[in-house]
Amino acid sequence: MLGTLVSAIAFGIVLASVIAIAAMGFTIQFGLTNVLNLSYGGIMTIGGFAAYLVTSHGLSAWYGLGVGAVAGAIVTLLVGRGIFTMYARRGARVFEMMMVTLGLGLVIDYGLQALSRNNVYEFTVLQSAPFRLGPIILTPIQVIIIGIGLALFAGLEALLRLTRIGKALRAMAADPALARACGIRTRQIIVLTWLLSGALCGLAGVVYIINSQSVGYTTGELFLPLVIAAAILGGAGSPAGAVLASLLMGVVTQVVAAYGGSLYSTAAGFGVLVIVLLSRPSAVLTKQANEELTLA
Amino acid sequence: MSAWSFYLSTLAVYFGVDVLSGISLNLQYGYAGVVNLAYIIFQSVGAYVAAATALGPDTGAAAFQHYIFAANLPFPVPLVLATLAGGALAGIVGLFSLRRMRRDYQGAIMLIVSLIALQVVTADVSLFNGSNGLTGVPKPLSWLPLSPLAYQWVYAGWVCIFCIAVYLLVRWLSRSPWGRALKAMRDQEEAAGALGLNITVLRLQVFVVGGLIAGLSGGLLVEYIGAWSPGAWGYAETFVIFTAIFVGGLGNYRGVVLGVLLVPVVFLQVTQFLPQIGYPGLMDSLEWVVIGLLFMLCLLVRPRGLLPERKPLAAEGSLPFEATGLLPYLGRRFGKSAA
Repeated sequence: MLGTLVSAIAFGIVLASVIAIAAMGFTIQFGLTNVLNLSYGGIMTIGGFAAYLVTSHGLSAWYGLGVGAVAGAIVTLLVGRGIFTMYARRGARVFEMMMVTLGLGLVIDYGLQALSRNNVYEFTVLQSAPFRLGPIILTPIQVIIIGIGLALFAGLEALLRLTRIGKALRAMAADPALARACGIRTRQIIVLTWLLSGALCGLAGVVYIINSQSVGYTTGELFLPLVIAAAILGGAGSPAGAVLASLLMGVVTQVVAAYGGSLYSTAAGFGVLVIVLLSRPSAVLTKQANEELTLA
Repeated sequence: MSAWSFYLSTLAVYFGVDVLSGISLNLQYGYAGVVNLAYIIFQSVGAYVAAATALGPDTGAAAFQHYIFAANLPFPVPLVLATLAGGALAGIVGLFSLRRMRRDYQGAIMLIVSLIALQVVTADVSLFNGSNGLTGVPKPLSWLPLSPLAYQWVYAGWVCIFCIAVYLLVRWLSRSPWGRALKAMRDQEEAAGALGLNITVLRLQVFVVGGLIAGLSGGLLVEYIGAWSPGAWGYAETFVIFTAIFVGGLGNYRGVVLGVLLVPVVFLQVTQFLPQIGYPGLMDSLEWVVIGLLFMLCLLVRPRGLLPERKPLAAEGSLPFEATGLLPYLGRRFGKSAA
């Protein structure tokens, strides 16, 4: 009985690592630019497909991770600088921008459906025999995924806390106008934000398909709600919050799956969001003043 | 000739159902600023309830599918129940998700609600037969002595009656003091609250009214097509209706009718006539791509739609996305004390 719980928690931590990588990128992007980017899931899928193409041509999955990150970063930068800025200049506010990203998500998702001929492709790389650790049975790749998640979190925190660029990023997130007045090159910082969050997004896509062993056009669409929920729960702009929220959602999802059947496991993850919404509304309630987009 | 007539009558039914959807979303977003990206689940609950309460018990001949609310009720009752189900679900969802928050948060949370509902109904076969959905819903007016073609047109007329009735009702509602309070809430929420309007209650009210219309539209649609499954209610379906009301013009009903005529009816149906290119299913994918592009283009080129809302005089000259003055909306409500 206890064994079931412990191994469910272990699986939860694996899932949480995948959610956390995506949620860290999402929360940085959202915290700095104020764009609630619903095309994020589609860009995750682009990263996944890029990695699939690379590995199916014989390169190792480690290159796949790199290619996925680069693809995510480039697409995000193009979309952010090209499309979102265009709407912001014409006076779009946060809600119109969110609808634009939803439309863009539709374009990306179904564009990928057209390109992938509506197929789901197998992605079985880095697979090897599972090992036992007490009651827990994990595969080496699951341990690697947890490692990647931890390394990215540590790297991101170090970047934000220890470097001048990190300081500038945090200053922008706190008050863009003041940051600009202090001589921070906001334009470059925004470009950096798109690249950084896009790379995390692409990486998350690759890690997700390594974990689920398949890639299809709905990959990101199905995963995005968990990512958004984790980012909202953790508080916009806070990677540490996003990681904690991901852990909570990952573990709850897997524990419910272990005891109550997989039917309601994903719904239970969202149940956490609903409960927090009801009990700690300050997590999502923001001041009216904070409705400005920061894109340039 | 009769093939054309059949096709046109089918289009007429879809048009009517989509107009109901457009009216519902326009009331919620165009008038009240409440973002309902979960619209399709309220239509779906109406469809499922109308189907289950008309199908009869899920034993014997119907034992191949499982559903709750099984009943064999006479003709107009399932439709009434569908309407009420839409309103009830909207009330429940609204109670916990209509908190005061930024509109984009609100939209994202509604989207998540929509996706959870889809997941649960698809996974849990005992609710509404899982991913296979319900089928074999009896045709409601089948006792009429009509040829299949005549039945089509009679049903289209039946949907049309509801459209006109709902249109008149909602137009009356939105011109009433309640409707002006909605617009005040949309444009200046804090000020509207300061004037004594109960924002929370107003939001819940408009959400439930929209939910009732959504449930009705779902009931009408399922009684026409005879089947309903999770494939019919992805989030993209909500997005199509949003695109329609944005293209037509928010905040007025001529815009809704025009938008619905252009986007789901003409736009999505015209593609059926184009020569099929590539592998089967490619055109369907591209259709959604183009809907996404159409929305983005519309917001870029005509953010207020083809038929923009007529703003009150005091608000003339305001920017497209800008808030307008409050007073014109509240004139009659507070006019007596001022005069």
